[in-house]
Amino acid sequence: MSEVILRTVGLKKHFGGVQAVDGVDLEVPRGEFRAIIGPNGAGKTTLFNVITGDLRCDGGRVYFNGHDISRLPPHEISRYGISRTFQITSIFRRLSVLENVQTALLTHRRRHYDLLTPARPLFREEALALLARVGLEQEAARPSGVLSHGDQRRLELAIALASRPQLLMLDEPTAGMAPRERREIMELVARIGEEEGLTLLFTEHDMDIVFRVATRITVLHQGQVIAEGTPEEVRANAEVQRIYLGEHG
Amino acid sequence: MQWREMVGRLPLPLPLVEVRLQLWAVLLGAFLVVIPHFLSTFYVFLLTEMAIVALFAAAFNLLMGYGGMVSFGHAAYFALGAYGAALLVKKAGFPMLPALAAGPFVAAAGALLFGFFIVRLTAVYFAMLSLAFAQIVFTVIFKWYSFTGGDNGLLGIWPAAFLKSPIAYYYFVLAVTALGLAALYAIVSSPFGYALKAIRENPRRARYIGVHVKRHQLWAFVLSGFFSGLAGALFAFFNGSVFPDLAFFNKSFEPLVVVLLGGMHAFSGPLLGAVGFKLLETFVSSRWPVYWPLVMGAILVAVILVAPQGFAGLLARLAWWRKR
Amino acid sequence: MAFLQQLFPWITNGPLILVQVMSGLSVGMFLFLVSAGMSLIFGVTRIVNLAHGAFYMVAAYLMSSLVSLFPGHPLWFWVALLVSSLAVAALGGLIEVTLLRRIYRREHLLQLVLTFGLILIIGTLVLMVWGPENRTVPRPTALAGSLDIFGQPFPTYYLLVLILGPLIALALGLVFYRTRWGMLVRAATVDRDMLGALGVDVSRLFTQVFILGSWLAGLGGALAAPVVAVALGMDAEVLINAFVVVVIGGLGSFAGSLISALLVGQLQSFGILIFPAISIVLLFALMAVVLIVRPWGLLGRPEE
Repeated sequence: MSEVILRTVGLKKHFGGVQAVDGVDLEVPRGEFRAIIGPNGAGKTTLFNVITGDLRCDGGRVYFNGHDISRLPPHEISRYGISRTFQITSIFRRLSVLENVQTALLTHRRRHYDLLTPARPLFREEALALLARVGLEQEAARPSGVLSHGDQRRLELAIALASRPQLLMLDEPTAGMAPRERREIMELVARIGEEEGLTLLFTEHDMDIVFRVATRITVLHQGQVIAEGTPEEVRANAEVQRIYLGEHG
Repeated sequence: MQWREMVGRLPLPLPLVEVRLQLWAVLLGAFLVVIPHFLSTFYVFLLTEMAIVALFAAAFNLLMGYGGMVSFGHAAYFALGAYGAALLVKKAGFPMLPALAAGPFVAAAGALLFGFFIVRLTAVYFAMLSLAFAQIVFTVIFKWYSFTGGDNGLLGIWPAAFLKSPIAYYYFVLAVTALGLAALYAIVSSPFGYALKAIRENPRRARYIGVHVKRHQLWAFVLSGFFSGLAGALFAFFNGSVFPDLAFFNKSFEPLVVVLLGGMHAFSGPLLGAVGFKLLETFVSSRWPVYWPLVMGAILVAVILVAPQGFAGLLARLAWWRKR
Repeated sequence: MAFLQQLFPWITNGPLILVQVMSGLSVGMFLFLVSAGMSLIFGVTRIVNLAHGAFYMVAAYLMSSLVSLFPGHPLWFWVALLVSSLAVAALGGLIEVTLLRRIYRREHLLQLVLTFGLILIIGTLVLMVWGPENRTVPRPTALAGSLDIFGQPFPTYYLLVLILGPLIALALGLVFYRTRWGMLVRAATVDRDMLGALGVDVSRLFTQVFILGSWLAGLGGALAAPVVAVALGMDAEVLINAFVVVVIGGLGSFAGSLISALLVGQLQSFGILIFPAISIVLLFALMAVVLIVRPWGLLGRPEE
């Protein structure tokens, strides 16, 4: 068994009376493409937010590469090598496509307290190379807010990659896209993941995509892990079929 | 009408406008150097004031236009700069230049102290807490007769002998303002400025690319306070005196109005706005003082409804039309 | 105790303290009327209406003109109160329909500046109509005197406010918590998306809310007219106070406005006794402390 990159122990988070994440133990080995699935409200996004420091957990621990990152804020966690994308595309809408990626590169290299160097030429080539990677090199000069939805998702991916993550977390990367676009973007993610040796952790509603891309699947229900295994194992799991797959017919 | 249509998402971003600066800056600089010799003292004073207001507004716009943070209390830092310099002259016997140089540091220290609390809030709350601190500064200045002179102000804050004449002081203000604007321009085009714009656009995303958002905002606040204080110190020696109204909330709205008139998303916006604002103020308010606020209000409403990018936006649109 | 007594000689004077508490309460009631309207408007439309103080001022000036039409008539004062506050409500509705409606989707900064522009416009118009002199509004004869509370005088008119304020608070509470309209308003404040799901005509709701909020500002101004100097600049003063109240209570929270208005009323009433020199700064110090400790006000909720 290869080295574990991300481990959570008894992770908990509640909102008022609702236990959104209820004692989740996860172990993700390096290089794995792990899908987290579960019905709406199962706690997938909350789990993501707790791991990445967006929300503070009520109990439990998160370890990344052996470091305890449970109580760290997002900007520190990103420095350990975790990047993420959001369910609702999160980019800098009034900056150009190129500036979006350049800014991510600048901050990753800890240059953002530099007051004097003109930023325009900094990391330009590298940013263009990243854009080429996600197929946006033609759009570099446009304001990112006018891109199509699919292209905004690609840009978000480029921003996430700019900080050279080891673990890339994608929260419903294909939400709101047409079926063809969905396949394209997931193929892109998987290709980049393989080339870079990334570990992927993603949530997704489209089961075709989940079973095609994931090497291992965790099923979440009411904040708890109810099953985990290879796609075949999960597909065959009776309880999963009952509470989750059954709902979708 | 459904909710989403009305308030849901931000509308599509307006294309950012940046009037070409380099060439115009040179031409404008030459013009500003030559022009006072052809003008009466009245206009030399007016130009001096325009320069000070432009610097103040540009400092303010570092927060508003580039950082997306609206302060309702920036008069506090203008006043701290002015009073810092004036008090050093009056109480510590400093000569003009060292006092002037110290003013911005006093303002920056105030911005650091207040900003520490203010940047923890967002939007309207940010605006309100900045207003609250500014009112506290105002009240302290207003009430502390033994130190600040209260509403009698501090008089006799004159520039050094070689800057006594209006034209000499005008050149001095012009040079300092040009340096200040150059520094602000460098800041907004630096990696610091890029990260600041990123925070304005999307603080959450900024956090996830490794920016300590609050700390970054605090430094922006301090820098903005510093240059506001520089403008304040220049004003103290221009006016020859300082009064508590410098910290009053009316004064806090001045840079806001100027920046909106000029256009907040262009570096040149505050400069254009300062010229327009001062011209309007001088000519409208001297002729029809009663109607001045009405004109100002009507202009603001019109700008918001018709040209939310201000003068700079109009110029950019014009340039775009001519190119076609 | 002796030390305290030396510092504050009034501290053992029970009746004085009682009267201070009562006048603090009536100040709080004025503040509540104005700030509840502002908070209501913010809660639903997400606009911080800086012109709210200007509405208050317009009502006070209208009152000064109307009352002098039939001086001494026992009922006329109340008619004037109603007419001037309703006129301001209509003004608010007009402004909402013609101007504010066009900027709901814009950045909140632009909304703030637009309403700031309205302050300047309305202020100048008031100056043009009523001139620069201060005006006074006589109190109705029945309420012109003062009561004797254990030897301390207390203006009878304040008693009216002490009764009317809670009644209006109660009426608003009933509207918000017992009617379908009130439910919509609360829904809009808490979760805007819910409205869409309910199929509500949002723009009409906005206009109605704006009219009600403006009416409250107008009522506050009209009621205050006999006890304050009706003067230019009263808009800024009341705006700042109402703003502080709303921010302390939590923007959009009805109960928050009530609690914080009463708190600020007491602070103003006793601030003058305890720290006469810096009573103004107390208000802002209180707001600063609340915002630092509870950034969204006492009963407000965080914005996402």
